[in-house]
Amino acid sequence: MPELNAWDCLGGHPVDSASPLLETQHLVKRYGDKLAVDDVNLRVNPGEIFGFLGPNGAGKTTTIRMIVGLLKPSGGSVHVAGYDVQAQPIQAKATTGFVPDEPNLYPKLTGRELLQFVGDLYGLERAQVARRGEELLRMFDLAGASDDTIDTYSHGMRQKTALAAALVHDPRVLLLDEPTVGLDPRSARLIKDILRQMAERGAAIFLSTHILEIAEHMCDRIGIIDHGRLIALGTIAELRGQGRTEASLEDIFLSLTGGAEYAAIAEVLG
Amino acid sequence: MSEAAVSAGLGLWPAVSTLLRLRLQTLLRGFRRSTPRRKFGTILLGVVLIVFLGGLFTLSWMSLGWIRSPEFAVITGDIGAFLDSLPSLVLGGAFLGILFTSFGVLLQALYLAGDMDFLLSAPIPHRAVFVSKLLQAILPNLGLIGLVGLPLLFGIGAAGGYSPLYYPMVIVVMLALALAAAGLASMLVMLTVRVFPAKRVAEVLGLLGAVASIVCSQSGQLADFDQLSAAQTSRALQLAIHLDASWSPLSWAGRGLMRLGEGHWLEADGLLTLVLGLSAAAFAATLAAGERLYYSGWARMQAGGKKKAAARPATWGNRVRGIPPAIQGLVLKDLRTLRRDLRNMSQLVTPLILGIIYAIMLVRSGGAPDPGRGEAPGWAMEAMRTALSYGGMGIALFIGWSLLGRLAGMGFSQEGRSYWLIKSAPLRPADLLAAKFLVAFLPAAALGWGFLLILSVLQRSGIGTTAFEMAVVALCLAGATGINIAFGVLGAKMDWEDPRQMIRGGVGLLSAIVSLIYLPLSLALFLGPGFLTAFLSLPAWVGSAAGLVLGGAASLACAIAPPRWVRHRVPGLGEA
Repeated sequence: MPELNAWDCLGGHPVDSASPLLETQHLVKRYGDKLAVDDVNLRVNPGEIFGFLGPNGAGKTTTIRMIVGLLKPSGGSVHVAGYDVQAQPIQAKATTGFVPDEPNLYPKLTGRELLQFVGDLYGLERAQVARRGEELLRMFDLAGASDDTIDTYSHGMRQKTALAAALVHDPRVLLLDEPTVGLDPRSARLIKDILRQMAERGAAIFLSTHILEIAEHMCDRIGIIDHGRLIALGTIAELRGQGRTEASLEDIFLSLTGGAEYAAIAEVLG
Repeated sequence: MSEAAVSAGLGLWPAVSTLLRLRLQTLLRGFRRSTPRRKFGTILLGVVLIVFLGGLFTLSWMSLGWIRSPEFAVITGDIGAFLDSLPSLVLGGAFLGILFTSFGVLLQALYLAGDMDFLLSAPIPHRAVFVSKLLQAILPNLGLIGLVGLPLLFGIGAAGGYSPLYYPMVIVVMLALALAAAGLASMLVMLTVRVFPAKRVAEVLGLLGAVASIVCSQSGQLADFDQLSAAQTSRALQLAIHLDASWSPLSWAGRGLMRLGEGHWLEADGLLTLVLGLSAAAFAATLAAGERLYYSGWARMQAGGKKKAAARPATWGNRVRGIPPAIQGLVLKDLRTLRRDLRNMSQLVTPLILGIIYAIMLVRSGGAPDPGRGEAPGWAMEAMRTALSYGGMGIALFIGWSLLGRLAGMGFSQEGRSYWLIKSAPLRPADLLAAKFLVAFLPAAALGWGFLLILSVLQRSGIGTTAFEMAVVALCLAGATGINIAFGVLGAKMDWEDPRQMIRGGVGLLSAIVSLIYLPLSLALFLGPGFLTAFLSLPAWVGSAAGLVLGGAASLACAIAPPRWVRHRVPGLGEA
């Protein structure tokens, strides 16, 4: 298990559970006649890990991209650390870290240069970025390849580099879109540990995943989106208590999103 | 599909046919789904090509008929040997053309397209995959080369009154040579990729292609055809005849076709059978070798046990005071990524080569206008002389503008799918625009100044003149940068796969037109007062100062205003 020295030297954020670090109000995204995201209201408090689940094409990535300011909402608002993402984008983005589902990074920069570049974008001191960058590279087992250009990295290495880039400025709100896809078990475990430690130190973590086991074991609360609408929200216990007796999150997810019938189809095909 | 059908799989040729049909369907579907304008353009291009084919055939027929005439032989002497070598030269050119162009296409098809694993794991013979890849690789190139080669060879036949059998055999021989060339190219690709990474090879090819095309297209500017002597012409013809070496199979092909056309059946049969047999053997051997190399993994495995030496740890250096860190980071990032991608270097090489060629022409002319027939009035010659004295500045401006057209116009689009990193960062649109401005302006101005200083030394220009010209170049380029950046924002595309799709065509064209209007207008403002003060017999510095004020104000306005007009568009970039 690598040492997580970077976190020790950076300290945490004061936890103020009274005000959410991330809040969406009546969030809507419309593409012509199609409603990709329909009136999504959710909040993520400091120290909380929020799991965002949904079938393919349900609106997860669109929601996340609106939260981080990559897409303009058709309606509603997003507040990050108290800042309106549309009205105060600079302040909101300064507190946010983002790891996309596809780690498209500059192929001709080295891993170390990418972290330095991100440090510049966030206005950090170069010495601070260099120190923190080294810690992150070592932590993610990327130190040996840190002077190779990113186009020589595997998918997993790119994913870890994207995560390191999202952590350079020590964000108060971290959004991750399918963070463990393409990672080996060791790296996936490392990411889970980091997210847990960040949450313990007061950050709000918002992660979308298809791996229900991760959501079940890591997330404090879960939101399930389907056809753009948030159809369930709460802790695992609350979701279980929504009138049904299902034991696992998988059962709850399938019953809510209408996927249970696929089990029967699979049985026929098998 | 039944289990039996799946397990039986497809035979070699049905599989090849299926794969080629799939490719054809993709092409046809692309055409059907294209906009009416694009459809019209494609049809128009087809018509133009047919007209071109006909024109080339007629030209070849007529000119060869004339060259063979006794009247022409009186002027040039006996050029029979040269005419006899023409079919071999055309076929040799086609063979080498297909060999070199197939290299790039096969590199893409075998290593970069990413569909080989899918195709090789399908229940079809591996050989079918290679045959279809080779055919897909050569067909477009064969079409292009055949576009020039066939009318020439048919023209030779028509001018020589060859037998009708000559014409279909030309096509057969050309196809056979094309297949052999593609087979050899596939072997070359596999050998090269054993040593170098495929992506790197593609980048180097792009650079070499750009350099070669620009050198070929512009080298004619340096040639002095007016001074071409009869001896030089004769030497050139002799060289062409020597290329038709009797030991070369390409020469056998050309001679075989000629003998066939002339009715020497026995000799023609022998030569053409040899050529077709060799081509078939070469194609089959390369096919079998390629298939084996690929299946055994050797074709994909990089040779050389030496691990690449670790790159020098990169440092971002110290920050410059007064410039926001984000701007500095963006400039450094862009300059590094541009420098490391050879596809970008090829765009830098183009203005450099153009600059060198035009600089040589300018220095060779001595800065004096062509006296012509001596009918021009004195004031016109004087004005021409003054204008030529700014020739160095014109070249510097031209090469700087050529470079910044790419850097500024594509500044945003080149971020591509990595743009999320910038867009999700706390960055003001004005800072992003400023960074992109600097990324385009600084290299263009440095290149322009470099050329200007070298030319000033060669032409022994005065310090005052050089300083004035440097200021004009910098200010003019600043204005052009502002215009190109603005159009770059308007035409930005982040979802491109191919770098050629980086900017929307219409916007790119509009940007070039506006820049081409801006440059002469701003130059007129810079230089106009100088001409006026010379006409009014006022001191030269008055004209220069007035020019700098007028032109400088206009250039700075163009540098600042267009980016400001499009600033509100920056936050929305990258959204579908």
